[in-house]
Amino acid sequence: MSEVSAGVRSKKAAASWTRPLFWTSAVSIVAGLLMWELAGRFIVKKALFLTTPSQIVVEMWRLTASGQLKQHLYVSGIEFGTGLAIAIVLGIAIGFLMATNKYAKRALGPWVSALYATPTVAISPLIILWAGIDIWSKVIVVVINSVFPMIINTEAGLRSTDRQLIEAARCFGASRLQVFWKVLLPSATPFLLAGVKLAVGRGLVAVVVAELFGSRAGLGFLLAQASDAFNMPLLFVSVTILAVTGMALTGLIGGLERYFLPWRAKAGE
Amino acid sequence: MTAKLDIWGLSKSFGDLEVLKDISFKIKDQELVAIVGPSGCGKTTLLRMIAGIETPDGGGISIDGKALKGPGPDRGFVFQQDSLFPWRTVWQNAVLGLEIDGKLDSERVARTRELLKLVGLSKFEKYYPNQISGGMRQRVNLARALAIDPKVLIMDEPFSALDAQTREIMQLELMRIWQEGRKTVLFITHQIDEAVFLADRIVVLGRRPGWVRETIDIDLPRPRPLSVKRTPEFGAYVDRVWNLIERDVYASVQEDIEATAP
Ligand SMILES: Nc1ncnc2c1ncn2[C@@H]1O[C@H](COP(=O)(O)OP(=O)(O)OP(=O)(O)O)[C@@H](O)[C@H]1O
Ligand SMILES: [Mg+2]
Repeated sequence: MSEVSAGVRSKKAAASWTRPLFWTSAVSIVAGLLMWELAGRFIVKKALFLTTPSQIVVEMWRLTASGQLKQHLYVSGIEFGTGLAIAIVLGIAIGFLMATNKYAKRALGPWVSALYATPTVAISPLIILWAGIDIWSKVIVVVINSVFPMIINTEAGLRSTDRQLIEAARCFGASRLQVFWKVLLPSATPFLLAGVKLAVGRGLVAVVVAELFGSRAGLGFLLAQASDAFNMPLLFVSVTILAVTGMALTGLIGGLERYFLPWRAKAGE
Repeated sequence: MTAKLDIWGLSKSFGDLEVLKDISFKIKDQELVAIVGPSGCGKTTLLRMIAGIETPDGGGISIDGKALKGPGPDRGFVFQQDSLFPWRTVWQNAVLGLEIDGKLDSERVARTRELLKLVGLSKFEKYYPNQISGGMRQRVNLARALAIDPKVLIMDEPFSALDAQTREIMQLELMRIWQEGRKTVLFITHQIDEAVFLADRIVVLGRRPGWVRETIDIDLPRPRPLSVKRTPEFGAYVDRVWNLIERDVYASVQEDIEATAP
């Protein structure tokens, strides 16, 4: 059995709840919030300069009870979700084209690298001018922000496929389509998921920024409202929701990685 | 009797570089033939042409009298570099060929299970390649090649990446599997003792361009235990092959040194 060296070693630090390690994060968060609350109540005292966690909770409760929060979340969610879905599909398609066709690579390459490095959120006002104040302008902003990491990662993933594996498949008589499904795609999956991770981060920022520039609803709208009225608890409600959403999505992608890349999970950690 | 694998007048160039020139030899049914030659003499290129993923400039290849057209499941390959799919388990790797061929029926599944048992990997079906040792990986490669029940098994220096002890074990394993299944095998190597130990016949290639220098029958009785390697007959065969390629090997090493020198 000594042949089975790596990997089988059971997860070494599978933090059990009986260990101090398991509680470290929780204790840290609670302590941080407590200090924040105390500082807000006894040191700064002005709600404008430092709102406290308890005020944020109260404000969030008010918004939830009135049904407003649900409405804003819904609008932002639709904008973000639609934009992200389009960016992923489009990004994979363009990335595939660039990896397989050298003319496409030459023609699109410079645009993709230039636009990837450009903070395209900056042109949100222009998009809103063109596409209107409703959800589609936000969808477009999300797409133009999220599609480039998707393109770049798809292309890199497909290109990095081990030639040896492609040839092995071809020796077994694999068709071009089979080579794609059985070799290229699985081999590129880690890159695709990394691309999705980047796309999610950028898309989240994009939706909020675009809403800030002009909207009738959404978390960005809420943020704009809060800052106009100097309503700091409301501002923090929006920020908190964004933070939680970001964390939840990152967790979700982590789950996808464990599901799609079991061989990596078993080798790593 | 017609040859199982027949190669005649095969030649290949990459641009100005003539790699293989007029290669001809036959392999009989159930014969184990080894190809030996110095590094860079075109062994892998020859294998790729047999695989059907490289087209020869001249000459041809046939199996059971039928000329080859492209890749096909009548040939099973074990490659020089480990080529298991890292995202597939041992089992999923073993059935890859059947899957591609659309022949994953219950009978073949059962036979692949038997094969994995034969190479001693039954317990590891659910493991991923990065969780098993190099020797085990190469046995999965062997099982994968055998799973499609090919007419000819073709191996390109399959044990060259293994340490000396594991290599000897693998040679014995291959011998055992070959004796049980009696496949026709073409085995490429640059380990002379490996070739003498395993083969019924050795095709010795010369270099620049690769050509058939000589074909040597190995008349050592079977089954061959590892101890056969210490007999004078074995040593005589090794010397004979070595004498044939010695100058070529020096030349190729020299060339490599010159190529890497500043
Ligand atoms: N696709 C290719 N394009 C150009 N040259 C090639 C190509 N494939 C192989 N060669 C050249 O052909 C020669 C023979 O290569 P090959 O890999 O067949 O040698 P080999 O006998 O398998 O060597 P080794 O024992 O080191 O594996 C080498 O000089 C190599 O550089
Ligand atoms: Mg080679």
